[in-house]
Amino acid sequence: MKKFLITGTIVTVVLAGFVSLFASASPDGLESVLLTGCETTDGEISGGTCVLQATGDHEIGGVFADYGMSFLDNEILGASLAGILGVLLTLGVATGLFWLLARGKKPAAPANDVQA
Amino acid sequence: MQKGAPPVEDLALHIPTDVIDGPTSLIFALVAVLAVGWCTVAARRGLDERLVPLAGLATAFIFAAQMLNFPIAAGVSGHLLGGALAAALLGPWLGALCVTVVIAIQALLFADGAVTALGLNVVNMALIATFTAYGVLALALKVLPRTRWGLGVAVFAASIISVVAASAGFVLQFWLGGEEVGQSLGAMAAAILGTHVLVGIGEGVITAGAVTAVAVARPDLVHALRGTPLARPATLAETLPSKTLPSKDAA
Repeated sequence: MKKFLITGTIVTVVLAGFVSLFASASPDGLESVLLTGCETTDGEISGGTCVLQATGDHEIGGVFADYGMSFLDNEILGASLAGILGVLLTLGVATGLFWLLARGKKPAAPANDVQA
Repeated sequence: MQKGAPPVEDLALHIPTDVIDGPTSLIFALVAVLAVGWCTVAARRGLDERLVPLAGLATAFIFAAQMLNFPIAAGVSGHLLGGALAAALLGPWLGALCVTVVIAIQALLFADGAVTALGLNVVNMALIATFTAYGVLALALKVLPRTRWGLGVAVFAASIISVVAASAGFVLQFWLGGEEVGQSLGAMAAAILGTHVLVGIGEGVITAGAVTAVAVARPDLVHALRGTPLARPATLAETLPSKTLPSKDAA
């Protein structure tokens, strides 16, 4: 189990911190449909009318708004760090919550955790 | 960022601010709270301490995978929703909780999906996607052989149908509380469902790969298999009479 978890965590951190830098920057399925009727230049709406135009700014922004770190000058480093910290944070929050939920519950059957 | 002109490329699949009106958002927030509460109760029944680290890792993996937009058409991308992965590995209740945690972290810390749209997004991506995927998976595994390929095909189908169902959830929400601009609701619905077939194919390829990889290494960690390992396809050595395999005897 340990080996599986460690491998999984490394893969996940690499996906968020490195592979994500090469992800497509095009609007996704929902956005592209909400953009129908508008023209865009450099990722900003530049004309026309569409649903997405009506959207306001995000209510709170957040420390890692738009998967970057606003206080870092280096955009690539910021995106990579935001991804890695996001993964570690998610891992921590989820494990913590599920641990609370499972508290006091022992495995029903003897764990068949022999290999790996 | 100028007000009123959010950078398009930084938004994600999640519903942004002010697309769906307040009353509709509130109704779906209530639905989400009730359903997630029910999932919490149901998930505890199947949860034990051994499963906790796996559920935590699956949640982190879905968070990472949602950052990886892949191109699906010229100028359009898609990303994994994760419902099918969560359902296959952890079952519908715990799976839905994993995706809920991801969506909450994205909305609260990453400005991805509006806070007011949390209920809408949780209903679509965590509840509709995960439960649809689980239903399809359970049905498909009854029909398909319990081999690596059978599981892969089942997960692939579950992924596509779950993503299209999640996007249909958005269409319903927009019909209730959205304002048509620039295109009719019908045209928009067709476009959304159509693009999400493509997103679903991408999700299906990634999820089928990930789930079969886990199933081969650790079948006990795949909830959908219910504790039974995959039927091992007969190897070459077993299908051929031993005489035709000189390497074994000649050595």
